[in-house]
Amino acid sequence: MASFLPQLPWSTNPLLLFGLLLLAGFAGGELVRRLFKVPSILGYVLVGLLLGAGGLDVLNGRLIKEAWIFVDIALGLILFELGRRLDLTWLKRDPWLAATGALESALSFALVYGALVYFDVKPVFAAVAAAIGVATSPAVVMVVAQELRAEGQITERALNLVAINSVVAFVTATMLLAWIHHEYRAGWATIMLHPLYLLAGSFVLGFVASAVTVAAGWLLGKTEDGHFVAALALIVITVGAARMLELSVLIALLAFGVLSRTLDRHHVLMPFDMGRVGQMFVVVLFVVSGASFKPHDLVATGTLALAFILARFVGKSVGVLSLTYFSGIRRGSAGLLCLAMTPMSGLAVAMVHDASSLYPEFGVKLAAIVLSAALILELLGPVAVQFALTRAGEVAKEGQ
Amino acid sequence: MSEVSMEFKPSVIASVGVELELQILNSRDFNLARDAADLIGLIEKNGHPGAVKPEITESMVELNTSIHTGHETLVKELQVLRDTVSKAADRLNLRIAGGGSHPFHDWSDRRIYPTERFKQLLDLYGYLAKQFTVFGQHVHLGCPNGDDAVYLAHMLARYVPHFIALSASSPFQQGQDTSYQSSRLNTVSAFPLAGQIPFVHSWSEFLDYFGKMRGYGIVESMKDFYWDIRPKPEYGTVEVRVFDTPLTVERAAALAVYAQTLARYLLAERPFAPSREVYALYNYNRFQACRYGLAGRIVDAYSKQHLNLREDFLETVARISLHAVGPGTGAALHKLAEDAGSGRSDAAWLRQAHRDRGSLNDVARMQSDLWMGRVPVAA
Repeated sequence: MASFLPQLPWSTNPLLLFGLLLLAGFAGGELVRRLFKVPSILGYVLVGLLLGAGGLDVLNGRLIKEAWIFVDIALGLILFELGRRLDLTWLKRDPWLAATGALESALSFALVYGALVYFDVKPVFAAVAAAIGVATSPAVVMVVAQELRAEGQITERALNLVAINSVVAFVTATMLLAWIHHEYRAGWATIMLHPLYLLAGSFVLGFVASAVTVAAGWLLGKTEDGHFVAALALIVITVGAARMLELSVLIALLAFGVLSRTLDRHHVLMPFDMGRVGQMFVVVLFVVSGASFKPHDLVATGTLALAFILARFVGKSVGVLSLTYFSGIRRGSAGLLCLAMTPMSGLAVAMVHDASSLYPEFGVKLAAIVLSAALILELLGPVAVQFALTRAGEVAKEGQ
Repeated sequence: MSEVSMEFKPSVIASVGVELELQILNSRDFNLARDAADLIGLIEKNGHPGAVKPEITESMVELNTSIHTGHETLVKELQVLRDTVSKAADRLNLRIAGGGSHPFHDWSDRRIYPTERFKQLLDLYGYLAKQFTVFGQHVHLGCPNGDDAVYLAHMLARYVPHFIALSASSPFQQGQDTSYQSSRLNTVSAFPLAGQIPFVHSWSEFLDYFGKMRGYGIVESMKDFYWDIRPKPEYGTVEVRVFDTPLTVERAAALAVYAQTLARYLLAERPFAPSREVYALYNYNRFQACRYGLAGRIVDAYSKQHLNLREDFLETVARISLHAVGPGTGAALHKLAEDAGSGRSDAAWLRQAHRDRGSLNDVARMQSDLWMGRVPVAA
């Protein structure tokens, strides 16, 4: 055989993988959307499940690792945009919204922790799992809202609450690292300094990125394309830098998003809409998160997963229902807000992934608890959000 | 539909009331939002003076004042209404803006406010109903009887270019500079029942006309006529509808008392008789005002002269100022004349904002800052 021809077996590469996952995910998304009128996300996840360890087992260990870079970019884009949605001035003007966010985060953490400990889960696992459970999937809420072109009080409030509970989840999970290190008998310096490094370092990285973006926006003048490219470049750079410096991609990008709005006092930046570029990465994010689930975990930890989901739902709902009355929201819509808080997905996978990178054994045990719950909620969540936003009358289509 | 009473309810001569259609914006990119129902719900919960009502699409809200005789109480009520609405908007993370058009919204994104009447309008007018997301100020002028109302409507037609040019605040539409000072009225003109009152001479003649149109099944009530100026028998008023919503409530009040003073002058002095010539020239003069604002040139039906709109307005203010009543009215007219003399206008302010910032998102943001009273209004 001629030497210039590729040798068998052909080696794949991340680009090929990206394209294939995009295509497969997109096809699945269209199929479920057209057949069942449910959000396309559900199709992406199902394709992931089909390709993953629980199905055909073609998208597994090594390939998931190769695809992870796209997951990072997708989460980066989503968290940046979520951060830009978090409107601190609104929380000042409607403190009850901020209080709702704090209460539902605290209650869902407490109840999940309590439920897991009740089922004899070791407290350190229970605490980290509960912290991960605090976060509502920003990707699901944002992508479903975008797909339905939903706009209105429930949509906006849901996204702001998601931003708040994501911050709480990231910070809590990071602080809990101290406990994990302690469990694994790390030195005192590690126990104290590692969480601090992650929190402060990621925040500073986000701060620098937003300062550079605002400066770039100022230099470029008002061009929508220019600002889009600048923000996109900075998002990718920040993801890369966070990986290089072993910081938290999640915290850095969320901080970047929030600060790029807060620091921009003179309204230099044009509105950012990740649009089609974002959509591409989101498809791959959900396919990979679908592939990361192991359905046999679900069988093994079924009761635990159900307890987790139930405790989380009760915590979030009690939090939202008890305080929204005081907010400027119309009667009867608080329940819809609770439903919009249910999704859990790619973010949970990423947080488990981060935890595993330190202590693989810890990650395996944690994954069994969190990922089964996340799998169920990944399937129910998009439908719940679609129902809530449609019922709230906030989707673009007339008369729904 | 039951028989609508067309009896003209007498009211105090040239008393004045104002309706303002306002834009509801989101706080993210300052595009139009769809939160009218939530906003109105929250305002109703807290209580307020006047009235707050929905308009044809979910991105609009309408404020109505009560009846006033002079400027001072009118501007006060408008300011209280403004503060009430702004406070509710703040809690919902919304913004409220004046201006006759939103600078960059896409009409196809609009949704009709869910009431039977608005749904019927969508059925009937199709896309025009959504394009009707433009924002006007309506001024009600009290008349003692129907005959006076008909006379006043015909006489005010001569001054419609003044109202348009003074209030013009819709230079941008759908993301583009239209080159007009008021592009809003082009949208209104597309409706089949837009235009002017027919050339009738008395209330009974008008009732004959109305009865005929209702007999044909073309209209059910006065609401179905989208005329620039129309009698409103149940209020006992003549309603002037050509104003763009100004950028501030202060200017809205000043424009209202200009119309009020003009009405008092016309009804008291009866300087002219109604003339068909006014209507022959009407659309040309109206276009000049929309396109060029106070720099437009009109043809006066009575003197047959070409006039510069700015000069004609300044002369008119001087002529009618004796008829200004109530505290603050004279000063408000003086300020209006001063602004006109120095070329200050809402459309110019908007274009300047666009030149300064280079982005229509910023224009919409600044427009709402101005209306909500977050930046001082230029003295």
